[in-house]
Amino acid sequence: MTEKSITEALREALDEELQRDERVYVVGEDVGDFGGNFGETQGLQEKYGDKRVRDTPLSEIGITGHALGAAVGGMRPVAELQFADFAATAGDEMVNQIPKMGYISGGQFTLPMTVLAPSGAGIRSGAQHSQSVHAWMGNQPGFVVVTASTPYDAKGLLKSAIRDDNPVFFLPHKNLMGKKGEVPDEEYTLPLGEAAVERTGEDVTVVATQQMFHRAMEAAEQLAGDIDVEVVNPRTFAPLDTETIRESVRKTGRLVAVDETPLRYGTQGYIVSEVVSNDFFSFDAPPQTVGVEDTPIPFSPPLEDEVIPDTEEILAAIRRTF
Amino acid sequence: MVSESNPDVDDLPRETADVLLDEMMRIRAFDDAALEQFREGDVPGFLHLCHGHEASHAGMGVAMAPDDWLAVGGSRLHGQYLVKGVPMPEAMAEIYGKETGPNRGKGGSMHLADYDRHLYGHAATIGSGQNPAAGIALAQQMRETGNVVVSTIGDGGTSRGSFHTALVFAATWDLPVVYVIENNEFAISYDAENLPIEQLSDYGEPLDMPTESVDGSDPVAVHEAVSAAVDRARSGGGPTVIESRVTRMRGHFEGDKQQYRTETDADASEADPLTSFRDRLIEAGHITAAEYDDRYAEFEAKAREAVEFAQESDFPDSEVAYDDIYEEPLYGQEGGDR
Repeated sequence: MTEKSITEALREALDEELQRDERVYVVGEDVGDFGGNFGETQGLQEKYGDKRVRDTPLSEIGITGHALGAAVGGMRPVAELQFADFAATAGDEMVNQIPKMGYISGGQFTLPMTVLAPSGAGIRSGAQHSQSVHAWMGNQPGFVVVTASTPYDAKGLLKSAIRDDNPVFFLPHKNLMGKKGEVPDEEYTLPLGEAAVERTGEDVTVVATQQMFHRAMEAAEQLAGDIDVEVVNPRTFAPLDTETIRESVRKTGRLVAVDETPLRYGTQGYIVSEVVSNDFFSFDAPPQTVGVEDTPIPFSPPLEDEVIPDTEEILAAIRRTF
Repeated sequence: MVSESNPDVDDLPRETADVLLDEMMRIRAFDDAALEQFREGDVPGFLHLCHGHEASHAGMGVAMAPDDWLAVGGSRLHGQYLVKGVPMPEAMAEIYGKETGPNRGKGGSMHLADYDRHLYGHAATIGSGQNPAAGIALAQQMRETGNVVVSTIGDGGTSRGSFHTALVFAATWDLPVVYVIENNEFAISYDAENLPIEQLSDYGEPLDMPTESVDGSDPVAVHEAVSAAVDRARSGGGPTVIESRVTRMRGHFEGDKQQYRTETDADASEADPLTSFRDRLIEAGHITAAEYDDRYAEFEAKAREAVEFAQESDFPDSEVAYDDIYEEPLYGQEGGDR
């Protein structure tokens, strides 16, 4: 095990997959000499050349739209968007084309492509560079939607995303790119579509990813000895591994769903509804949701901090279930 | 550049003239049969017919090698499917939403795709198919297959930013792709004459691409232009934009009242590319009127057989609605390592 940042973990994943499979190429704005917006492609163009680490003109439509065709044509593109918010500038490609072409074709087309796009808030970049978009794309059957919370997850899940035959929207968090953690030295991958129980506990289940995962873990530590918190990281939001979450709630009897998506039609409501509909009588208390209030993300640091859930909010939500 | 003169039929190899005529007849017979069944209430959804586009579709399709990819676009699609080699019964079955269609009924007339024949389905949000076409072309370039991609669009779609992005990417990467704009002058009702650009192929000029505007009612002209562009792309010469000027003989969809048409619009019968090509071939002594009638009757019979095949085919089982959403298992799940 070696301590690495999420940026380094992503770079290693790209490096290893470029090495492993010549059908893989990395493509996007400034992925070449510039080395990626967060440094995630640093040195890769030098190593693999400008065909396999391919800079593009500035157009998310072109980046995602061409990647769809390249995937149908037998390549395995990793198409990078500098910020996940920019998925909206490729709205037709991301909503109408990529997640639907496999289905429309009656299963004739496989689309082994990855859209790699840092998401989330906290880097003081304003409303158009701070969104958590996994609810948008989770609402498009056909897209596998994956978030990364730790360097270990980032590397193992990105490698799996690249090897998966589905279109995968892969979302590390902008504010966690420098976050360090243990990463195995040997080759590994992590399963897509499976949630991980990151901390076992008996009293309450907290479901959380990305920044919220780390804040949920902090909350769990603060409550240790008083309330025994189980933390589940969904990792993949679409399709969602509801079984692991339900199993946890059947044990604990309590649920707090925490996410950076807006509460209005966000992921929290879906997670709660899956458990309420199927395991209602497991509950000892009403489930709680924590998320961004229905507002765009503001720029000014105190305002941004106000709308993004913090550890205190998670603690309060946990306490409300007792 | 504009090609104003229609190439002489006599300069064309006889076999090419034959296959162009056959393809045009096949398309007309197919769409006439589809129209008849639509009027019977037999065909679900909208019906967009190719009448007036047959020469453009035939010229383009015949210019392509079987392994070249066709990414269809615009709104008049049936003829494009047929010239890419989809048999009439399969195409008709898909239009009916039957399980014997290439997409097993999940595509319909706007999304017919046939992977084995290298037919990419239509991006029915008009103008979004050109970037995937660039991507298919990039895959051909990177894998060194030697195949070329032809991508079609109508005049309407050229106003979408996605179309222009595709040209930028294709030109930047010298991709083996040919963009054919079938300009029938109407984006449903919006007259292309209102666009400030002289000819739609000029959109390629700022990107230093070869461009050409041809009479799309002449299959020989389209065949020549697309053949040259395909050859250039195949030999590493990069992308081309071709405008194929055609007439839309019918409404945008069946049932379109066409209040927007003026009396000065082209008279449909005079603009019919099938009858004008027939007349040229008769004049050139290539075929007699009686021979033409006999051949056309054969295609009509085949179209009727296609309708019967579609009618007799089953609808997909309702459970099929839940297939093909994901390739399963996902990577890393049990048995899912690839």
